[in-house]
Amino acid sequence: MIFATVPFPSFTLESLPQLPKLLVEWLLTLVGAPDWLVIIGGTAAMAGTVVGVFLSAFALLSLVERKTLARIQNRLGPNRAGWFGILQPVADGIKMLTKEDIVPTKAEWLLHLAAPILIVVPSILALGVMPLGREWVPVNMELGLLFFFSVGALTELSVFMAGWASGSKFPMLGAMRAISQMVSYELPLIISALGVIMVTGSLRLSDIVAHQEGFNFGIIPNWNLFTPWGFAAGLIFYIASIAEANRCPFDLPEGESEIVAGHMTEYSGFKYALFFMGEYLGLFAIAGLGVTLFLGGWQAPLPFLGWVPTWIWFFAKLAVIIMSYLWIRGTFPRVRIDQLMRFAWLCLIPMALLTIPAAALWVFTGKGIVSWVVTVPLLMIPWVILTILFNRRLAPATRTYTFADS
Amino acid sequence: MSTEKTIDRLSAPPKPGRWIMPGLGLIQGLVISGKNAIQSYYKKDRMTTIQYPEQRAVISPNFRNFPFLCYDGDAATGLRCTACSICENECPPQCIYIVLERDENGKSLKRPKVFDIDISVCMNCGICAEVCPFDSIYMDGEYEMSTDDRFGGLMLGLDRLAKSAEYHMKLRPEEASAVMAKRKAEEEKKAAAAAAKAAKAKADLEAKAKAAAEAKAQADTEQKGESA
Amino acid sequence: MIPLLILSPLILLAALGAVWKARPVHAALLLALSLALVAVLYLTIGADFIGLVQFMVYVGAVAILIVFSLLITRPSDEAEEIQRRPRSMVTGLICTLPVLAVLLIALVKGDPLTLPAADAPPLSIARLGELLFTTHAPAVLAVGVLLTAVMIGAALFARDIEKPKSNQPEK
Repeated sequence: MIFATVPFPSFTLESLPQLPKLLVEWLLTLVGAPDWLVIIGGTAAMAGTVVGVFLSAFALLSLVERKTLARIQNRLGPNRAGWFGILQPVADGIKMLTKEDIVPTKAEWLLHLAAPILIVVPSILALGVMPLGREWVPVNMELGLLFFFSVGALTELSVFMAGWASGSKFPMLGAMRAISQMVSYELPLIISALGVIMVTGSLRLSDIVAHQEGFNFGIIPNWNLFTPWGFAAGLIFYIASIAEANRCPFDLPEGESEIVAGHMTEYSGFKYALFFMGEYLGLFAIAGLGVTLFLGGWQAPLPFLGWVPTWIWFFAKLAVIIMSYLWIRGTFPRVRIDQLMRFAWLCLIPMALLTIPAAALWVFTGKGIVSWVVTVPLLMIPWVILTILFNRRLAPATRTYTFADS
Repeated sequence: MSTEKTIDRLSAPPKPGRWIMPGLGLIQGLVISGKNAIQSYYKKDRMTTIQYPEQRAVISPNFRNFPFLCYDGDAATGLRCTACSICENECPPQCIYIVLERDENGKSLKRPKVFDIDISVCMNCGICAEVCPFDSIYMDGEYEMSTDDRFGGLMLGLDRLAKSAEYHMKLRPEEASAVMAKRKAEEEKKAAAAAAKAAKAKADLEAKAKAAAEAKAQADTEQKGESA
Repeated sequence: MIPLLILSPLILLAALGAVWKARPVHAALLLALSLALVAVLYLTIGADFIGLVQFMVYVGAVAILIVFSLLITRPSDEAEEIQRRPRSMVTGLICTLPVLAVLLIALVKGDPLTLPAADAPPLSIARLGELLFTTHAPAVLAVGVLLTAVMIGAALFARDIEKPKSNQPEK
């Protein structure tokens, strides 16, 4: 073995997350491994870092969610397992691992096994194209955004597989509802992202983030959310992402008081944990995409805060979005399936379609005051008309009560 | 509260032709739950959880659980129960088992030799306490009685059932003081009646003696008149 | 060449399974698998855009559509009922022979074994978009009109089914 002298890799606070990859590559070149092995080793280390970070974030989120929901509901969350319940995810993991794995006799065991795996895989793949920092993009694909939506399509098919392969009624019903919900809300999701693609001119996610740098009037960041079409598209993306991730108030597919656990009913033990994990990782992925598209990704919010490492900004913004998801979960009741579909097709899709000409006009008229004057009425007037129509047609009728003794 | 009034105003069905900005009700809801979450850290009425077993809930005086037997002074001699078996007969799920203590001649000693209550059967109705004529069985307030002995752990015998009158006073002050007053009044009445009876007996005896003395004196004078 | 050699038998097996499998859901999922493998094939020859769009449209929309219709109509899984389903060799031949003829003609005339020049630049997304909306715009517009007509027809069809039912409880 030839021990080549390779200098120890240098890293800054900014490129700290790259450290595992750099270390593995340095060690492999030190022992004289061939080039392809170095590349494979580096890529594996990079993937391992991303998966490790997001899995520990998932564990932390499961605890934070329970405690936040508890505080909203006037109670304490889990606080017995470790100091302030910090070991609760560990306890949950041990519980899930040691539970018996039950497969019903009427179920197709192969599809029953494949479905949870195929739900986790797209979420992890989608996390790979996310620009997590200026120097930390795991896979900087030219078609990153398209890749993200394509692997999202695989999630829907695996929900169907989970529901059908269980061989019983609740999962089938849950799968049907889940698929109709996910397909309906995927349209506003993608259409609202189209405006961003148009304005940026590229599908590469790091380009989209770089496009949002700079500050207007010295203090307001140049994020897409602070433009009229961006605000509308961002709001639509936010609502559609809650529906895509099957979170309350759109959690009909897993409504606990209605259809037990929907498509996850016949799963126990670690497979259920995989579903749980897939749902939360998908939440991270789609919230991360929202941050990238509309909130400027890893850009700092104020000009004098540029010294903070960019991956901290990404995770801070991600944390804010996830906390808002938790807040919404603790506040609103579940929507019915017909309200859900009506909302998607009659309200979100027309408004999402309107953001595309608004974005085009924004670019054509030079992104100045004129653009605001032109795009804001283009978005607000149809919105007002739509809500007036909703109020007239869909508002609940005034209730009249007749009492027994009258 | 202004928040509630605003919510009422916003969640009323909209009058036709009047446009309300959609989403305001949602934001009101979010504000309420946010207030709940933040104020739960420093306001007592927003955090109602009691951390058992470090803290325990305050139980009301009317709470009743399983029965206990009351004694005055000493458990061996002061037990009020006379083993009359009224509670055993009135108990709906029949969870009481009483054996009367008799001496060697078979005469009852008005004391229970065995008094067992199976608290896994007891339904906490309190009928035994209502029908007892000797103020001896009352409903206890102890609730942490779980045991891992499946077959005998929930069968309470006389040693575990007998509790002092001071315990009763601490548990239910109103009821216990009423019972004590009633018992004291009864004792005084009994004592007064006994004293009156003793006085009457004494008076009767004196009257009888006086009448006997008078009769004897009259008989003496008659005899003296005859002999003269 | 190697990815083609590995993927083609898998695609053919999945497609054959989709045609021959008796249970409808298995057939639908094998169809989805074959479409996904075709997307992988596109990715290996460097057509990134087409590969990802194939995945998104076929696996994410067409397969979901088939699966959804299976969930709603619930065709029977029993073996006897499947045997009793009407099958016609003539209909099958009428449907498949023209397609086969077109494929063979395209294969023979298209000269598939000559590879393009090594220094031909790959088609970029911007160039693809330009071509779609300038040179091939009539085709795109025609497909758009077709899809709109299909959607309107489906909505009207659903509405017609609903209407008679809602007229019934008139008291």
